[in-house]
Amino acid sequence: MLSKVAERVYWLARYIERIENTARLAKVHSQLMLDLPKSVKLSWYDLVQITGNEDYYAENYDSRSEQNCMNMLLKDRNNSSSLMSSLWWARENIRTTRDILPREAWIHINELYIMVKNHQEDFGVRAKRNALLSTIIRSCQAFTGMLEGTMSHNETYRFLKLGMLIERADMTTRLIDEGGLFVAQEQFENEEESPFDAILWANLLRSVSAYFMYRQQYQTEISGQEVLHFLTQDKDFARSVSYCLGEMSFIMRKLPNPEPMQNALELLQKKISAEQKLNIGSNELHQHLDWIQRELSQINGLLYDNWFNPKQVA
Amino acid sequence: MLDNLKNYPVNGFYDEAVQDADTPRPAARALFTRLDGSYFDSLQEMQKAAEVAIAQMGISFTVYSDKGNIDRLWPFDAFPRTICNTEWTAISKGLTQRLKALNMFIEDVYNDRKIFKAGIIPEDVITSSKDFRPECMGMKLKHSSWACICGSDLVRDGEGKVYVLEDNLRVPSGVSYMLENRAVMKQVMPEIFQDMNILPIDEYPLQLLSMLRSLCPTNEKNPEVVVLTPGIFNSAYYEHAYLAHEMGTELVEGSDLVVLDDDCVYMRNIEGLKRVDVIYRRIDDAFIDPEVFREDSALGVPGLMRAWRAGNVAIANAPGCGVADDKVVYAYVPDMIRFYLDEEPLIDNVPTYLCDREEDRKYVLEHLSELVVKPANESGGYGLLIGPKASQEEIDTFAQLIEENPRNYIAQPTLNLSTVPTVCDKTLEPRHVDLRPFILQGKKSYVTAGGLTRVALTKGSLVVNSSQGGGSKDTWIVVEE
Repeated sequence: MLSKVAERVYWLARYIERIENTARLAKVHSQLMLDLPKSVKLSWYDLVQITGNEDYYAENYDSRSEQNCMNMLLKDRNNSSSLMSSLWWARENIRTTRDILPREAWIHINELYIMVKNHQEDFGVRAKRNALLSTIIRSCQAFTGMLEGTMSHNETYRFLKLGMLIERADMTTRLIDEGGLFVAQEQFENEEESPFDAILWANLLRSVSAYFMYRQQYQTEISGQEVLHFLTQDKDFARSVSYCLGEMSFIMRKLPNPEPMQNALELLQKKISAEQKLNIGSNELHQHLDWIQRELSQINGLLYDNWFNPKQVA
Repeated sequence: MLDNLKNYPVNGFYDEAVQDADTPRPAARALFTRLDGSYFDSLQEMQKAAEVAIAQMGISFTVYSDKGNIDRLWPFDAFPRTICNTEWTAISKGLTQRLKALNMFIEDVYNDRKIFKAGIIPEDVITSSKDFRPECMGMKLKHSSWACICGSDLVRDGEGKVYVLEDNLRVPSGVSYMLENRAVMKQVMPEIFQDMNILPIDEYPLQLLSMLRSLCPTNEKNPEVVVLTPGIFNSAYYEHAYLAHEMGTELVEGSDLVVLDDDCVYMRNIEGLKRVDVIYRRIDDAFIDPEVFREDSALGVPGLMRAWRAGNVAIANAPGCGVADDKVVYAYVPDMIRFYLDEEPLIDNVPTYLCDREEDRKYVLEHLSELVVKPANESGGYGLLIGPKASQEEIDTFAQLIEENPRNYIAQPTLNLSTVPTVCDKTLEPRHVDLRPFILQGKKSYVTAGGLTRVALTKGSLVVNSSQGGGSKDTWIVVEE
C-alpha cells in the first residue's frame, strides 16, 4: 500500500472523529449553559483553550463572546481545526482515495458537507445549534458504522481505524479537561465542593455517550474521580483513552513492522494506569492531560517514521 | 432505400455512414436497419440515456480557463462512427509501420544519426527542436521502444482517402474516453451489439500493462509498474486514475517516488521503500526531474534521469521522444519509413509545407487564405490559423509570425474532413470528425480496434478538441457478415 494513500485514509478517519467530537464538545457546553445556575460563570472561551486555539483566537477575534467562540470552533474555515475545516479536509481525502473506499463513503460525506455548508448559519443560533450538532454526530456515527459493515477489514480499514482511535483518545482527554476547567472555576469562586459537580459530570458523560455505560459500572453517585478513571483507564469503554490505545496496538498487529508503535502504546497505557488520584480541577490534572496529548502526538510521529514517510528499503 | 436517410444532407463532404441520399455505407447498413422506423425518437432517447450514464459514471475532464479550472462532463454523441474491418486492418498495419520507423528515428537521433548523414533529413531540424534532449545522447532502449504509446490523428478527405494528420508521441491522452464511450454505448444500445459484429476494445488496459512490463530493463520476473500523474488538478487525472485502476497498478505522484544513491527508483510504501521498474509517466519531459530539467518542478522525481540512464528503470514514453512529435519532423515520416524499413508508407501524410524551406514559405505566404497554418510544437488545437475562416488581420499576424520564426510553422491544405451523422435538436446532421487510434510498441506492437472519434459539435466547425467545443463518439470496427 502506498504511504500517501495510507496517510490519507488515516487522516480521513481522524477528521471524521474530530468532527464528531467537536460537535459533542460544543453540544455539552451549550447544555451546561442550561443546567448550571446563573451564579456559575460560564466562559465560552474555555472551548478555545480546550482545543488549543488560544493563539489563533488572539490574532483573529476580539471579544470572548459566545458568537465568536462558536464561530471559531465550528464555522471558521481559516481555523484549520474548526468543524467546517475538518469536514472540508475529510471530503478532500475521500475524493482522492475514492477508488479504495466503498462508493457510499464519498456520497455520504459529500452530502454531509453540502448539508452543513447550507446550514452553517445555524451554528450561531442557540435554538438551532443543538439540532444541527446532533445531526452531524449521527451522520459521523453512521459513516463509521457503514465502513465497519461494508469494508474488508484490510490494510485500508486498519489505517482508518488507527486514525479514528488516536483522535478519539486525544479528544477524550480534551473533554475531561473541559470538566476540570469548570470545577477549577467553581472552586476559585466557592472555595469548597460545589453541589453542581454531579450535573457537570453527568453532562460530560453524556457528551461522550458514556452515561449509561458508566452507570452500569458504578452504581454510586457520580464522582469526578470515578469519571476520570472511567474515561482514562477503563479497559472496555470504547472512548476511554486506555481502551483506544489497546485497540490501536491490536489493530496494527497485521500491518508491516508494528513493533515500535506497539511498544510505545503499551508503555503509555502502563503509565496512564499507574497514575493515581489527581485532584479534579487541579493544575496537575490539566498537566497530566496535556502530557497524554503530547504522548499521542509522539505516537503519531512514529506512524510517520514507519509507514507514512519510510526511509528504509523494504 | 431507408426512410431515415431521406432528409440527411450529403453535400460535398465524404460522409462515413451515408454514401448518397438514400444509401448507407456497408459498415453502417446494419445500424440504419436497426434504427429504422421512429429512429430519431429512439436515437434522442439513447442520447439522453448516454448523458445520464456519463453523469453517473462521473466521466469528466477539466478545462483550463481564466475563471479557474472547471470539471465538465464529457460531451458525447450517441450516433457511432463505423469503419469496416477490411479497411481497418490495412490502416492498423500502416500505423504499426509508422511507429516502428519513428522509434528507429528517435534512437538514431540520440545515437549514430545515420539518417542525417545520408542527407534524408537536415540535421538542424533536430538541433533546433525544443524537444531535443541532449541528456538522452547515447541511450539505447530495450526493443528500441522510445515512443511506446502513440496517439496518431487520422483524417479522411473529400474523396474518402485516409491520412495521418499528426503523431502524438509525448503523453497522448484520450484512451479512457474511448473505453468509456464503448461502455456507455453498450448500456444504451445493447441489442445492436448483439446483432452486429463489432470488434471489442476493452482489452486495451491489459495490452498496455503487458507492453509496459515488456520494457522492464532488468531481469525482474514480476516488474513493478506504476502510473505517474501530476495529480488531481491535471486535466487528464481522470484518465490516469482510470488506467491505473484497470491495470491494477499504483497511481503515484512525484512525491511518492524517491531515487536513492544506488540510482534506483523506489516508491514510498507502508512496508518501506519498494523498487519500481517501469514508470508510465503522464508528465511532460520538462517536469520529470528537477535535477535535470525544470528546477522549479514539484511534480517530478529528483534523480529520475540518473536512474533511467543507469538502466535501472524504464520510462514510457522515454524522455526525449518528443523530438519526433514536431510537425516539421512529421513531414519527413514517409522518408523515414523508406530509409529505416525499406518499405513504402501504407498511410500517407497530409501534404505539408515547411515554412523553413524558402520555396514552401513563399507559397504559404501567398496562399495563407487557403491553408491551415500550425505551430510546429503545440498541441490541443491552440495557435492555429484556419485560412478560409480567418480575418485579414489574423492572416497578417500569421504572415509576420512566419517571417520571424519560419522553423516554427508548417502549413497544410484545408482538408474537407469527413462527416458522421450526429444527433442535433430535431434531426441528424453531418458533423466533421477525426480519429485517434492508440498504438503500442514494446516487445510486440498493438493497435486499438478503432480509437477515439472526436467530433466538432458546432455546425461547420473543423476543430474537434474537447477544450474547444469538441465532443466524441464511439467508434465501431464492423466485421461484415
